[in-house]
Amino acid sequence: MDPKLTEVNQMFARFKAALARNDLNTCEILLSQLKVQLTKFPSLPPLFQQTPNAVEELKLARDIYEHAVVLSVKLEDQDAFERDFCQLKPYYMDTCGIIPPSPEEYPILGLNLLRLLVQNRIAEFHTELELLPVKALEHPCIKHAVEFEQSFMEGAYNRVLSARQAVPHETYVYFMDLLAKTIRDEIAGCSEKGYDSLSISDAKQMLMFNSDQELHQYITEEHPEWEIKNGFVFFQKAKESQPCKEIPSLQLINQTLSYARELERIV
Amino acid sequence: MNELQKATPVAAAGTPTVSTLQRMKEIASVIEAGSLSNDVRRISRAVRLTIALRGHLIPQDVSMFLSFALPASSDAYSCLSALLPKKHGMVVDVTASESQNSIKHGLPEIEIYCYLLVLIVFIDQKKYDQAKACANASIARLKNLNSGTVDVLASRLYIYYSYVYELTNTLAEIRGNLLGLYRTATLHRDELGQETLLNLLLHNYLHYNLYDQAEKLRSKAPRFEAQSNQQFCRYLFYLGKIRTIQLKYTDAKESLFHAAQKAPTSALGFRIQCNKWAIMVRLLLGEIPERTVFVQQGMKNALTPYFELTNTVRVGDLEMFRSVADKFETTFRADRTYNLLVRLRHNVIRSGLRNISISYSRISLSDVAKKLRLDSMDPVADAESIVAKATRDGAIDATIDHANGWMVSRRRADVYSTNEPQLEFKSRIAYCLNMHNEAIKAMRFHPNSHKDRVEKLHDRHQQEEQDKRMAEEDDGDF
Repeated sequence: MDPKLTEVNQMFARFKAALARNDLNTCEILLSQLKVQLTKFPSLPPLFQQTPNAVEELKLARDIYEHAVVLSVKLEDQDAFERDFCQLKPYYMDTCGIIPPSPEEYPILGLNLLRLLVQNRIAEFHTELELLPVKALEHPCIKHAVEFEQSFMEGAYNRVLSARQAVPHETYVYFMDLLAKTIRDEIAGCSEKGYDSLSISDAKQMLMFNSDQELHQYITEEHPEWEIKNGFVFFQKAKESQPCKEIPSLQLINQTLSYARELERIV
Repeated sequence: MNELQKATPVAAAGTPTVSTLQRMKEIASVIEAGSLSNDVRRISRAVRLTIALRGHLIPQDVSMFLSFALPASSDAYSCLSALLPKKHGMVVDVTASESQNSIKHGLPEIEIYCYLLVLIVFIDQKKYDQAKACANASIARLKNLNSGTVDVLASRLYIYYSYVYELTNTLAEIRGNLLGLYRTATLHRDELGQETLLNLLLHNYLHYNLYDQAEKLRSKAPRFEAQSNQQFCRYLFYLGKIRTIQLKYTDAKESLFHAAQKAPTSALGFRIQCNKWAIMVRLLLGEIPERTVFVQQGMKNALTPYFELTNTVRVGDLEMFRSVADKFETTFRADRTYNLLVRLRHNVIRSGLRNISISYSRISLSDVAKKLRLDSMDPVADAESIVAKATRDGAIDATIDHANGWMVSRRRADVYSTNEPQLEFKSRIAYCLNMHNEAIKAMRFHPNSHKDRVEKLHDRHQQEEQDKRMAEEDDGDF
C-alpha cells in the first residue's frame, strides 16, 4: 500500500482510540493533522482524480470526516459540525458509483436535519429533505427527524417530548437537550394565549419542571407578567379589553396618494 | 408568407417531398436575407416556419437540402452527411431548384440552421446517439461564432441539446458545458442566449432536486428585460418552484400565477404543471382554490388528484387525507409534490379545528381528538397542545379549561369592522393597476405612425384655415 496511506491509517487508528476514551484534546490535535494529510491525496473532492488507490483513499477520507462530525457533537461545537458536514456531503452525493455506501450515512444525515431544526433554519431543512431519495425516509433516524419537525409545526409538544426519549442514536441526545429549552418557550407562549389560568401542578407538568421552585424561578425570569395566586397561575388578565382601534393614518395617506397618482396616469 | 405562396404552386406539380424541400429552401433564403440585413426578426420567423414544418421532415429531404445549402468542402457538410442515412437514388427536380434561388454558400447562419434541422430530425426519429453527436458538433462550431443573427438559432440549438441529454437521462453530464456556454453568452452580451441558458441550467438543477444550487445560481445571475415570452414564463415557473421549497409561499404563489397566465394557450402541459404547483402552494397558504381552477379546458383529468386533495383539506379530515395521499402517491411522486403533501397535514388539522371551533361553543378535548381523528398515544394531550398553538397563531379564537378538559370558543367579531376588507381591496386594486400598466408598456406602435398623424393634423389645420378664409371672403362679398 502507499506509504502515505499507511501513515494516515495509523494516525486515524490513534484518533479513534482517543475518541473512544473521550480524550477530546488529543482528538482535536490529531484531527487537524489528519486533515492536512488528506490534502495530499488528489483523488478526493474537489479533484476526484482517478488514482489507483482512489477507492481506499475515498473510504478513508469519508471515515475521517464522519468521526470528525461525531467529535464536534461531543465538543458541542455547532460551527465545527457545520464545517465538517459540508466537507462530508460531497462524499455522500457524488461518490455513489465509486465506493459502497457508509453505514453511518443516514444517522449523520438525520443529525444534520436535527441541527437545522435547532437553529430554526426550516427552509434549509426542507431543501435538504428534497435531496434525500425515497427509501431514505424509511430509515429510523431520518424518520425521527421528519416526525419531530411535523409534531413541532403542529404544536403537539407532548409528542415532541416522547420523541426525546426515543432517540435512535446516542449522538442525538445533545441536540434534543438544546431543543428542550426552545420547546419550553413555545409551550409557555401557547399556554399564555390558550388558557386563562392553570393550576400550579398542571403548569409544572406542562413546562416540564420537577419542582415548584423551578417553576417560580422560570416565571419570574421569563414571564414577569404572569401572576401566581392561590396555587394558580394567571396569564394576562387584560386579554378581554380591546383598546380602541387606532386608524393607521400614515398607511391610509400613502395608499390614497398612490391611487391618485395612478388615476392621473390613466389618460 | 408571400414568397412561400408563390413557390408552392410552382412545385405542386412535383411529388410531396419536393414541396417540403422547396419550403426548406425558402426558409434558407429568408435566413440569408435576414443575416445580410442583420434583421433578427426575420431569423425568428424562419425558425417559426421550421417548427411548423417539423412534422414533415424526413432524413432524405434533409440530406438533399444539405447538399444544396452547404458547400461540399465544409466540415459541417461532411460531418452532418456522415450522420444522416444515405439517399437511395431519388428523382431530384434539379432544374426547378436551381432556377429558384441561389444561396450564398458559406454563411454561418445557414450552417447552424442545417445543424438545427438535422438535430430536430434525429430527435423526432428517436435516434438519440446520433442526435447527441450532432449536438456536440454544433456546440463546438458555435464557440467560434459571434453575431446577433446567429444567436437566435444558437439558443434554439441549446434547447435541443439539453433536450437530447434529458431524453437519454444523462443531464448531469452537460452541466459543465452549459455553465461554460452561459459564461460565453454573457461575455458576448447575447441576452436571448443568456436567458435560454439560465433556464436550461435551472431545469438541470431542479431535475436532480438540487434546489440549493439552483437558488445560488439564480440569485447571482444578472437580470434584464425579458427577450422572449416563453423563456420568461419558464423562468417564473422555476422561481416559483424554488420559493415553494424554501417555504416562501406568497412569493411562490405570485410567480406561479404569472407563469400560468403569461403562457400561451397551446402550451397545455406547461400550464398543467404550473397549475398543479399553484394549487399546492395555495393549500399550504391556507386558501382553498375555487372549483373553476380544476375544470379548465383540457386539464380536468390531470388535476383530479389535486381536486380530491383540496376536498380533504377543506373538510379537515385526517383519515380522508391519508387515504387520498396513498391512493395517488405515484402521481404526486412523479410531479415531485409529495414532500409538499406531507407538509399539508398540518393544514388539514388546522382547518378541521377551525370548523369545530366555529360550530361548537364548548366541546370536550377528547371529542375534539376524536373528530380530528388524531392517531397517537395520547390524543387528548395532543389535541390540547394543538389547540393552544392554533390559538397562539391566530387561526382560532378559543380558551382551554384544563381542569375540566374542554375548549370554549369565543365569538369572532364582525369582520367588516376590522381592517381586513380594506387590505383585500388594496391587493385587488394593486393587481388591476399592475395589469393596466403592463398592458400599456407592452403596446407597440408602428414607428412611423406618429408622422402620419402629425401630417394629417397639419393637413386638417390647413384645410380649416382655407375654409375660414373662404368664409371671410364670402362674408366680404356679401
